Amino acid sequence: MSRLVILTLGLAVCFFYLPIVVLGIFSFNAASTMAFPLSGFTLSWYADLFGNEAFLGGFVTSFLIAQPVGLLGALIGLMAALAVTSPRMKFRAAFAILVLVPFLVPKTVLSIAQAMLMSWVGLGRGATALILAQTLVVIPFTTTILAAVMVRLDPRLEEAARDLGATPWQSFRRVLLPQLSVALSAAYSIGVILSLADLTISMFLAGRTQPLSLIVASEFRRELKPDLNAMQVAVLVLTVLIVALTEINRRRRLRGRMAHIRDDL
Amino acid sequence: MASVLHRAHLAVPVAFILILGCVLPLAVLLVFSVFEVDLDAFTLVPAFSGQSWTQMFTNPVFTFLIGKSVVSGAGTALLAALIGYPIAVSMTRLPVLWKGIGSIVLLTPLYTGEIVRIYAWRVVLGSEGLVNAALKWLGVIDEPVKFLLFSPFTTHLVLLYNNLPFMVLAIWISAELIDKRLIEAARDLGARPIDAFFKVILPLTTPGLAVGVFTVFALAAGDMMTPSLLGGTSGATPMAMIDNLFGTAFDWPLASALSLSLLVILFAFATGFVTILLRFDGARAVFRRGAP
Repeated sequence: MSRLVILTLGLAVCFFYLPIVVLGIFSFNAASTMAFPLSGFTLSWYADLFGNEAFLGGFVTSFLIAQPVGLLGALIGLMAALAVTSPRMKFRAAFAILVLVPFLVPKTVLSIAQAMLMSWVGLGRGATALILAQTLVVIPFTTTILAAVMVRLDPRLEEAARDLGATPWQSFRRVLLPQLSVALSAAYSIGVILSLADLTISMFLAGRTQPLSLIVASEFRRELKPDLNAMQVAVLVLTVLIVALTEINRRRRLRGRMAHIRDDL
Repeated sequence: MASVLHRAHLAVPVAFILILGCVLPLAVLLVFSVFEVDLDAFTLVPAFSGQSWTQMFTNPVFTFLIGKSVVSGAGTALLAALIGYPIAVSMTRLPVLWKGIGSIVLLTPLYTGEIVRIYAWRVVLGSEGLVNAALKWLGVIDEPVKFLLFSPFTTHLVLLYNNLPFMVLAIWISAELIDKRLIEAARDLGARPIDAFFKVILPLTTPGLAVGVFTVFALAAGDMMTPSLLGGTSGATPMAMIDNLFGTAFDWPLASALSLSLLVILFAFATGFVTILLRFDGARAVFRRGAP
């Protein structure tokens, strides 16, 4: 590795992590104004979080909305990926473009169009509307993840199952699904993370439901407070935890499978 | 039974969901844009009126706002390409183990919420924030620099920050696909590193570059929250305008016409960019013959 490579990547990492590190530092800083020089170490901003009912309520709401988004996103993504990687698929390109539509259309335009349609037909905005809209936006991501794994699977395994008399459902359940379990958990995590991170869709479709991102946005339009830093760091740690657990799970399964193959040999 | 139901048929329910949830709302915008609005009764009047479209094209505010968002999307995409390219190429030089770590490092900021990122930059650039404190400590300034917060500068910095990972990822993937022997061959045949870059690496990564530019352009131009939370008085976007027309002013036809214009213009520009990028010989060859 040349020095230039290290320098470039070092600068990139600094740029990506600078705001996050500053946020972290101020969340432990004793003063109530966010200014340098720092004035001492404290955990009180984190303690404050547990007393703040608006934040806790927002967090519970966000968490409860993220679960169905993750599950539905993974399920619909699985169906879409099965279809798009099927050798018998007829309108593959058209279908692939349709799956990408929620990603290609700016979220703001899509959300406002959905909000208008819903108000027009008299459906209320709120948790259900938010879950449905977020799921649609998650579909391109989950489909891509699952399809990328599916194209790398050995089709002969399924053919073998068929030859041995398995019904399509049995070969899906016993052969395909176990190979996809890790990708499915990754798809679910992406759905949960995108849902927790979302602000734009919530803006238009949450109605009276108040996810955490909306509460934070309205708080910090007014002023910056250190307990908000602590809140953001807590959300960040949670997100990284989900990513790390998914990755560890993936590696463990992979190692397990390798060991299995070695034993068979 | 096996022949009746096949996994390709799973496309039908998925397509139904996507059409109902994404295509239909966009189609309804088109319908709304020719309706009229009865402000006394707060109802939409089904009509076939060009009123909102005339307003849309004659009021300079709308054209100005759309132009502004196209310029800011294009600027962000260009900057992200210039900065993201060296990062992506550097990623390909990493040892295998570090590539996995590199991708996690690259992706983690993407997973943090929009609000976290916007908020964190406000802390960095605030009047008592990191940058001002550092400048003061260095003796460059006495008073905090105000332009760092609530300005077009901040908006564009954060738009770049939010979208750079997409660009790096797109270029990185296409750069990883390049057969390393092609570069070695170029070197063996006497090409200087700079020639090898412009004649081999750049043309072969144009598909990735095109994907990155398209993604970043669409995301940055359509962003509403970043300008509105960081841009201060300069933070007006077509989307914020549409939000106002929809919520406060109850002018759904005009809001629809504006949304559609934004969508069409974004796609026209993004497609234009991609077409120009794909003029490169190498890119055409990749599409004709598949990845090398």
